[in-house]
Amino acid sequence: MAMTKSQRRRITSGVRYVVLSVWGLMAFFPIYWIISTSFKLDTQWFAWPPYYFPSPPTLANYMNVWFGAEEYAQTQYAISSQKPLISLYNSTVIAVTSTFLSVLFGSMIAYGVSRYRILSEARMFQLLMLRMIPPIVIVAPLSLYYTAIGLIDTRFGLILVYFLTTLPYAVWMTKSFIDEVPLEVEQAAEILGASRWRTVFEIVLPLIRSGLVATFLFILILTWSEYLLALIITKTQVTTLPIELSKYQGSTEGRVYGRQAALAVGITVPLMIVGLIIRKHLARGFSFGMVRR
Amino acid sequence: MARIELCNLEKSFGAVHAVKDLSFTIEDGEFVVFVGPSGCGKTTTLRMIAGFEDPTSGEIRIDGRVVNDLEPRDRGLGMVFQSHALFPHKNVAQNIEFGLRMKNVPPEERVKRVREVAEMVRIGHLLEKMPSQCSGGESQRVALARTLVTNPSTFLLDEPLSSLDAKLRRELRAECDRLHQALKRTFIYVTHDQEEAMTLADRIVVMRLGEIVQIGSPMEIYSNPVNYFVADFFGSPSMNLVAGEIVQANGTARFRSASFDVALPDSFKAAKAGAVTLGIRPEHVGVTLGSGGDIELPVRLVEPLGKDTLLYFDAGVERAFVAVTEGLGMAEIKAGERIALSFDRRRIHLFDGDGLRIAGAR
Repeated sequence: MAMTKSQRRRITSGVRYVVLSVWGLMAFFPIYWIISTSFKLDTQWFAWPPYYFPSPPTLANYMNVWFGAEEYAQTQYAISSQKPLISLYNSTVIAVTSTFLSVLFGSMIAYGVSRYRILSEARMFQLLMLRMIPPIVIVAPLSLYYTAIGLIDTRFGLILVYFLTTLPYAVWMTKSFIDEVPLEVEQAAEILGASRWRTVFEIVLPLIRSGLVATFLFILILTWSEYLLALIITKTQVTTLPIELSKYQGSTEGRVYGRQAALAVGITVPLMIVGLIIRKHLARGFSFGMVRR
Repeated sequence: MARIELCNLEKSFGAVHAVKDLSFTIEDGEFVVFVGPSGCGKTTTLRMIAGFEDPTSGEIRIDGRVVNDLEPRDRGLGMVFQSHALFPHKNVAQNIEFGLRMKNVPPEERVKRVREVAEMVRIGHLLEKMPSQCSGGESQRVALARTLVTNPSTFLLDEPLSSLDAKLRRELRAECDRLHQALKRTFIYVTHDQEEAMTLADRIVVMRLGEIVQIGSPMEIYSNPVNYFVADFFGSPSMNLVAGEIVQANGTARFRSASFDVALPDSFKAAKAGAVTLGIRPEHVGVTLGSGGDIELPVRLVEPLGKDTLLYFDAGVERAFVAVTEGLGMAEIKAGERIALSFDRRRIHLFDGDGLRIAGAR
């Protein structure tokens, strides 16, 4: 018996909802679990059957992790000797500076590629291929160099390596936006008397600002959450948040889940705030085609 | 003041030879229109004058000075682009003001000049709007104003009206003409629209395949096309072009095609027998009801346009033979009727096998 068109449509849409719901559950449950764990008492972290909701919810993990408040520690292993606020400061300085440099220089290179063809397509592809090298490959020689030239365990050292490793992404992303700017608009500025630099800063960059913002956030996420390079080339002086996160375990206690969850939520929130502030640009930046021809 | 000389200008893009050995002088204050089908090299020529393309060889001189190595901004030119090329993130006033700002004109002066040119092209009410809020015609006026305000010696216009509808095009065409009269500057205008060329130009440069085919006033180009291509390109409806041959008989020359046979004027008496194309403009073909014309052809289609009526005749080939009659007197003619046509003999053109016009003896 043949189905009518509307029956078929109803079945398709039903299947679609089921698939998406399963996918949504898989994607969002871990996030929910982190948030809920961060509000749980020590005894509920590993409890079986699990506590799906913290009862009663507690701020102990947050107070302990972020402010070192020992009176909230209810068990013997919960006293934090770490300094997450310093890590937060380090992470902020390192991630923001390296991302800023990466987008600034990346967009300059991208402009050269887009308008002057300073890199051939093959070179551009190789540039992206550089990112395919697993970081672990370069990390050992890098730490040797860094020790030799005194950059190990410094903010500048980490900024430099983040800036260089994210540059290919910045070039690729911003180039696609610059390609969208009609050449005639630039030429109009040029014949009206603007120099090349003036044209770039007054016409091209403002036109692709949504794209720049999207690129900025994308690279900020990469540098903000980078772990491996930070682990090897920093030691005790400069700790970033992802490194801090890994320290919440001990040889006798195992993982201190509630504290880690509280820290993890704290690491994620700043990025979400940034994302919310610039969401207008993100929608336009990630959908391209924002330059009206 | 700007007299622009192009000397042996060549431009190649890889294997493509876009402009071939072009030499031509544009006099100060002249309105010159480069016209031709797409890919004929007219825009490339304009962009070389502007400085956006470097000539492969040859020289460009402005007032005697070679400008090949000058940046576009140092050539003292203004350009209006096909796409308008307004700055989307600046409002209309800021767009117009841009050129003045680049020349470090003081702010009070800028405001005053922006107002002036905005009034001149009638966009005074748009100054606070963004380009995205302007219609096509308004955008083009803004683009004009933005160029006007910098007071360039020469205006380069690259198909400025091609993105507009017919009515706006006529309106802005008149505007360009008015500006040229008022400013007495050199205008170089590129278009593929023969009607624009005819109405605007002091001189028309017809280009094809990277070469100049003919230079002349609109009337010269229209009345004395040098070849088949120019004859066919100008005029709407276009010239009737019928393939056939010249036959010499009893000391007179006749033109004979598949569908008709007509005596040629005495000026062609000495023309060599052989394959030719006869050309005559629709307005030079007289329609007579009854008998007594030069030829007789069956009507294929009647198009009453109001002021005129176009009659399309079947000349045995796909392309119809067209005649224009004034008013609607002929509008009642039915398709299939055979109608007598007479030719204004002095207006007959003949083109040889290579498409070149055969000059008749005076």
